[in-house]
Amino acid sequence: MEAMTAVCATPLLQARQLTFHRGDEPVFAPLDFVLHTGELLLIEGDNGSGKTTLLRVLAGLLHVSAGTLHWRGAPWQRDAVAGDLVFLGHQLGQKLDLSPRENLAFATGLHGQRAEPSITDALMRVGLSGYEDEPVRRLSAGQKKRAALARLPLLPATLWLLDEPYANLDRHGIALVDRLLESHLTGGGAALVSSHSTVNFHGGEPQRIRLHG
Amino acid sequence: MAERVPATVTTACAAMLRRDLLLAWRQRGDLAMPVLYAVIVTVLFPFALGPDLALLQRIAGGVVLVTVLLAMLLALDAMFASDIEDGSLEQLLLAPQPPALLLGMKILAHWLTTALPLIVIAPVLAGMLHLPTAAMPALVLALLFATPLLSLLGAVLVALTAGTRRSGMLLALMLLPLCVPVVIFAAGAVAAAQQGLPWLAPIAWLAAAFILTVVLAPLACAAALRIALDS
Repeated sequence: MEAMTAVCATPLLQARQLTFHRGDEPVFAPLDFVLHTGELLLIEGDNGSGKTTLLRVLAGLLHVSAGTLHWRGAPWQRDAVAGDLVFLGHQLGQKLDLSPRENLAFATGLHGQRAEPSITDALMRVGLSGYEDEPVRRLSAGQKKRAALARLPLLPATLWLLDEPYANLDRHGIALVDRLLESHLTGGGAALVSSHSTVNFHGGEPQRIRLHG
Repeated sequence: MAERVPATVTTACAAMLRRDLLLAWRQRGDLAMPVLYAVIVTVLFPFALGPDLALLQRIAGGVVLVTVLLAMLLALDAMFASDIEDGSLEQLLLAPQPPALLLGMKILAHWLTTALPLIVIAPVLAGMLHLPTAAMPALVLALLFATPLLSLLGAVLVALTAGTRRSGMLLALMLLPLCVPVVIFAAGAVAAAQQGLPWLAPIAWLAAAFILTVVLAPLACAAALRIALDS
């Protein structure tokens, strides 16, 4: 039992004085934060304040310029993190000539899949029933976003890095993202979510960091 | 935490290959382009040089080789462009599998969809230029090693020029010098076969170069794409 608590106490992600430089300019001021499983961290800031850059650094697409980043207590390493993390950026990573189902089948082939839901259930959950086999090209911007969001409950990842997940979504879509986040957090996951507007998250009070460009 | 169905290297490679072949099939109009290009260029030669049988026979092997390589170049710069544009490449680099392996699968899919049709049509093109039937096996075998070599070298250069604008011309200028040894050995094999000499040695050289690049090129490709995204 004591061992269990010790494991839970190790933060999933811990940043100390983390910065990223583009050229010689720092993109955001040195950041400190700790994220445990079951927690949500909101990254707020205006356009150009470095929210996307921060998420790309945390995903490992950009290299940390200064400071340290720890994953489950050990220094951040690609092999340990890859596969335990989903990154949803502005570019949704969807092939326009494939259907949502084919896109998801590819994602699960690459990253693995949870025991449930099935691809069909995941698409139903994001409100794309009836569009499973339609080429993504023919979907609206909001539907494309939903097709990309369907990846989240499918892939077996602990950490979600969501860049502007609310963009392009209608009221129901926003509620959908909140629902997905809630069930992920209660299931022992964690998430970092960036947004340029204030987010009303209903599942408890999230941590917030504010970036200044 | 929910139970997991882990992705193995095999399922990931199969998923990658299936996706790229499916995409190529959805845009199958594009697949015909390099083939049509090769046909048209080869047809131009007899018009330009006149129907001199002996002359055409002598140049047939070289013309077909160069035409096929140039036709491949046409399709090469599209290899990673759409994946970078729509963010698929980021997802690929974030996958738990080694990126070099997945990129190797992408290169394989690209070779299957662009080079293989050209290899199938090459004997027909060579026949149009009166290449003797005895030299056909040498031509096909030379292409079977030369085209993947070009796909692999090309993939590294495409990855290096990824993100730069108007990369098509730059790519051609960088890749064509690398084609020189490939063309020398491939044409050497065809010429030797035409003269009834043993032609296996140049093919063996091509095969050796192919094996070397098949190991190294995907690694270089992954490193180059990582740099292209890291900016």
